[in-house]
Parts: sequence; structure tokens; C-alpha cells
Amino acid sequence: MTGKAASRGAGGAEGGTGRRRWAWRLVRNTVLWLIPAAALWALLTPSYNRFLELAGQNLVRLTESPDATRLLPRDDHYAAISRLDLPPSREVVGSLRVTDLHFPAILLVALFLAVPDVPWKERLAALGLALVVSAVFHVLLVLFWVKFTYATQLGDWSLARYGAFARNFWGLGKHLLDLPVKLALPFLLWTWFYLDRLLPRGEEA
Amino acid sequence: MSDAAPTASPRRRQVLFLVVFGVLLAGSFTLLSVNWVNDHAVEPFTAGVARVSGAALRLLGQDVTLDGTVLRSPDFAVNIENGCNGVETMLIFMAAVLAFPASWRSRLAGLAIGLVAIQGVNLVRVVALFLTGAYLPGFFDASHTVIWQTLVILSGVLLWLLWASRFALPARA
Repeated sequence: MTGKAASRGAGGAEGGTGRRRWAWRLVRNTVLWLIPAAALWALLTPSYNRFLELAGQNLVRLTESPDATRLLPRDDHYAAISRLDLPPSREVVGSLRVTDLHFPAILLVALFLAVPDVPWKERLAALGLALVVSAVFHVLLVLFWVKFTYATQLGDWSLARYGAFARNFWGLGKHLLDLPVKLALPFLLWTWFYLDRLLPRGEEA
Repeated sequence: MSDAAPTASPRRRQVLFLVVFGVLLAGSFTLLSVNWVNDHAVEPFTAGVARVSGAALRLLGQDVTLDGTVLRSPDFAVNIENGCNGVETMLIFMAAVLAFPASWRSRLAGLAIGLVAIQGVNLVRVVALFLTGAYLPGFFDASHTVIWQTLVILSGVLLWLLWASRFALPARA
């Protein structure tokens, strides 16, 4: 898991053999980094959940006038979705397990710290950028979860306020963001930074 | 998705990979959200996962009965739903293999081996989750989403890395 001098070529002079060896080291390092990454994630999760609830609530409020949405922390993992414009007995309209939105960050941290032959400074800079992109995505995912709840889960209330297009937009959007994008994001970001290390040079042809 | 890599610039190949991967991923998950596909493909597949998992649990001495996609023992019951059948990881792996510059032969071999391996990991996950629910119910929630979801996705990513490092086609000069 050490950072040696950067050699942009897992596929450099050694060609395919070097690339394969590099990939095996990456796999080993990723597995080794998994536990520290999970421990760090577990430690930061309660604070990060509060941040997401607040940022998500502000983002949702940009789509409504007057402000009606409140995301209330229930415990370290769950938030209640509530509306100020509903009677107190009915103001909680759903709940959201905030922790489930960002657990793929464990994989992201492990993958980015595991890349062999890249100096630590470069690795950490790439990881920092990837985490910022992930955080933006997580806030967006909170927005889609809340709007999905409003548009499709509240019976007559939803039907009266959201048309067919809006219901499909928020429903499909939440489905795509919450499954493929959320799960594939660490891999997508990793390939953005490091895919070229798996690709052979032109002269290897 | 052609056999020969179409461009020489690594950056362009990288962007092409990301675009094709994104399109395949969005397309396949949109297809999954169609009720007909869910009813005629995903549900029967999930029922198959439940059957194999039930058989594995019985081999381990568990008194398990199967009712559709529900595995039930005197101590615990679990319904295997979308998200627990390994399909998400299979689709991510499939999109990544098809988007990567490799020969069709390598892609087909990668898909055949990779998809079976992912289902193998998923089988371990379902069995482990059932046993966790039966004997350590306090750990079930965290195991269900965080631990096993991460491990199944990780298996797909690592399998792809090993496959890609072996079968990447060089760019045309």
C-alpha cells in the first residue's frame, strides 16, 4: 500500500504482464483498505448524515414556495420527511435511511487509496475530488428521495399536485440514482482518474 | 463496442468508455423498471436465487422452507427482493465489460465467468444474511445493506479489473 514514484504505465515497458501485475496489486490493496475505509466511514456517518439532512432540506426548499419541507433526524441513520403545511398529526409523510445513500463511499475510499505506483499526494488529491463529487451526488439523491415520496407515495395528495410526467420523472430519477448511479459511482470515478493505466499504449499493438 | 479500439488517444478511449458504460447502465436499469420485465424476467430469476439459497441453507442443516421468494425457518424469515438478487452488480459488470476495448471473444468469456462468479458471491451473501438474521438479528440491518451490498459490488469491480488488465486491446496507432 505504499506510494512509489509514478510510472504512468501499468502498461509501460512491461506491457501486458506489468498491467496484470499492477491490477493484482490493486485488487490486494483494495481488499486491505476496505476495513480502515469502513471504520472511517462508520465514524463519520452520524455527522455526515446531519450534513445531508440539512443540505438536502435546503435543496428541496429551492423547489417549493413557501418553504414546507423539514428533514428531521430520528437517530444516527434515519431522517423523517415532514411538511410544515400539513396538520401536526399528519406532517410526517415518510422516512429515509440516510446512511444507505452513501455507504458506497467505503468502496470509493478503498479503491482510490489502493492504486499502486501513484504518489500519496496524487492519490489523496484524486480521492478528495471524488469525495466532493460524491457529496454533491448524495445531496441530489436526498432531493430525489423526498420528491419521489411527495410525487408517488401520498395517494390523493400526490395525484393532486404532481402530473403523470412529474411522477414518472421523480420515480425513474430516484430509481436510476438510487441503484445504478449510487452503486456504480465509486467505479465510475475511479475509471475517470485511472482507466488509462489499464489501457495498453499504442506501441504495444 | 467494436472489437478494434477506434481511437489512439488514451483520454478519448477513457471518455468513450465512460459514455458507453453510462448509456448501457442507464438503459439496462430503465429496462428493469418496466413492470413487464420485472414480472417476466427479474421475479423468476429472483425465485431461482431463492431456490438455490434454500438448497444451500438446507445443506448447512437449516430447516428452511421456500414460499415464492420467501425463505422461512422456525427462527427467521427473509424475502429475497430486487437488490438482493445480484442483478444490479451483474448489470454494472456487464456494462463495464461491454464498454471496455476488448475483443468480443474476451468479452463473452469475461461475461460468462464474471456473471457466474457474482452469483456465487451473492449466494454466499444470502446464506450469510439468513444465518445473521437467525442467530445475530441485531447485526442484520447493517449486514444487509452496508456490508454485503459493498462486498457484492466490490466483487464485480475487482473481477472487472482483473479481466480488463488481461484483455485490453491496444489503440490503433
